[in-house]
Amino acid sequence: MNVTNLKIREIRDLLDKKSFSSVELTQAYLDRIKKIDGELQSYITITEDLALNSAKNAQNKIDNGNSSPLCGIPISIKDNICTDGIKTTCGSKSLENFVPPYNATIIDKLNSQGMVMLGKANLDEFAIGSTTQNIFAKTKNPYDFSKVPGGSSGGCAASVSASLCAGSIGSDTGGSLRQPASLCGVTGLRPTYGSVSRYGLVAFASSLDQIGTIAKDAHDCAFLLNSIVGHDDNDATSSKAKTIDFASKIGKSIKGMKIAVPKEFYDENNGINPEVKDTVLNAAEKYKEMGAELIECSLPSLKYAVSTYLILSSAEAASNLSRIDGIKYGHRSTKGETFGDIVRNSRTEGFGDEVKRRILLGNFVLSSEQYNDYYERALALRQRFIADYAEIFEKCDVILTPTTLSTATGISENIMTPSNIYLDNICTVTVDIASLPAISTPCGYDSNGMPIGMSIIGKKFDEATIIQLADAFEKSFDAISPKLI
Amino acid sequence: MISHLSNLSKLSFTDDELEKFSNDMSSLIKIVDTIKEVDIEYNPIADNKNIYFNDLREDIAKESMATENILKNAINSDNCFVVPKVVE
Repeated sequence: MNVTNLKIREIRDLLDKKSFSSVELTQAYLDRIKKIDGELQSYITITEDLALNSAKNAQNKIDNGNSSPLCGIPISIKDNICTDGIKTTCGSKSLENFVPPYNATIIDKLNSQGMVMLGKANLDEFAIGSTTQNIFAKTKNPYDFSKVPGGSSGGCAASVSASLCAGSIGSDTGGSLRQPASLCGVTGLRPTYGSVSRYGLVAFASSLDQIGTIAKDAHDCAFLLNSIVGHDDNDATSSKAKTIDFASKIGKSIKGMKIAVPKEFYDENNGINPEVKDTVLNAAEKYKEMGAELIECSLPSLKYAVSTYLILSSAEAASNLSRIDGIKYGHRSTKGETFGDIVRNSRTEGFGDEVKRRILLGNFVLSSEQYNDYYERALALRQRFIADYAEIFEKCDVILTPTTLSTATGISENIMTPSNIYLDNICTVTVDIASLPAISTPCGYDSNGMPIGMSIIGKKFDEATIIQLADAFEKSFDAISPKLI
Repeated sequence: MISHLSNLSKLSFTDDELEKFSNDMSSLIKIVDTIKEVDIEYNPIADNKNIYFNDLREDIAKESMATENILKNAINSDNCFVVPKVVE
């Protein structure tokens, strides 16, 4: 039995039956990481000693009958989630040596269950971007090392896809869980804004950021999510709604469920690759065969999605990243005589080009001369997206869209051009703008064998339904694993 | 425009970078400009129900992080952050 290929639920079962120990399992993942990750680069920091120690402690808990759902399960954590005493770099030179003196709320929650952290997963600098290439590590796609894994949670997705962890926790601001999950052939779940505490998640765009999960299937995503949701006094935007078992609808019939298919997402004028379009529409037909009803609908404001997202997220990023000044923590420049010069030089030396572009754009749309034309208009459009989605949801249970316009592109092709970096996000960003939950799951492969993903968007706090639908599809889908050793 | 924005952003650019970033910004602004064609008005009141910031905790003093921990990632001395003299 190759233990690293198991799903989280299978591992839970076998750990509880004492088929193997958490230490043996953790060692198997660490051995595999040593073999593969030198080239794949899905991890930015590997915490071997900590992992083996946590595994020993977890095994004691299991042996003493004090197990909990994630006890002894090895996972990866995106490197923008603060871990007490362990470097949290955000993939940025500005935080190269930053060691948080506290844990994010979700880390405390996971630790209290006996989770085993294998390491910190690579990401785009400050989670801004969709390729997971930064100055420390350039993550590859497990299906083809010449291609990008997507991003910004590309390290999370690649580590799950290559079986270098049982599951992963990342963050999603404009598609950062779903897009890399789609490109790496795994399942990514962004829950409703407010479901999971953001305390200790290094902020990119606070009104859009949400922590979520990536795993081998929807059921595992639900399993992980169950352990991290809930209100937190340290995050005023975390919901007080009662949490439910996100796996509670799995296995129930989807007969009679209404799935809306918004035509704009499938419009080739918006740049969708015909192979991706056909594969997702085939998946829709499969749902129909299972007894669901497909409903045609329209989201005409989709053409403004990328603009709205870029304006809102850049404005918030410019404000959030103003705290990176080299004084309280992070890279401090040795050049400059005055306080102002040191701050300016520290930022100039510490940030990469993409982060600088977004800060400039953010300050542009917020400047007094431009505010009404850009930022206020984007706020108005956010209200329109919320209203448009509410109207669609009056007639359906979920919405089905492609996750990306195309499959993974070559690493060398990803030089900054507006068309390939920004416009590609069109399928994912409206979910974040409207604070909705969505799950991406593999639904096919292109002619080069690269994975294609579809997204199921749900009503606020109705994660259980999108998980149910993703699971129903996955059960009849023959997933192909990447060909690694 | 780019030099005004770089001041606001507390970032410096060399002449070569300035040209590159000006071009990049023109492309970005071209994308976001599409928003100008929409006839729409922002209703700040509506956001009260769309985005909730309703769970503010009680204003009760509680133990906070130890100063020593806060200073771990900074140049520090005598329990203070060290910066160049700001008042002559």
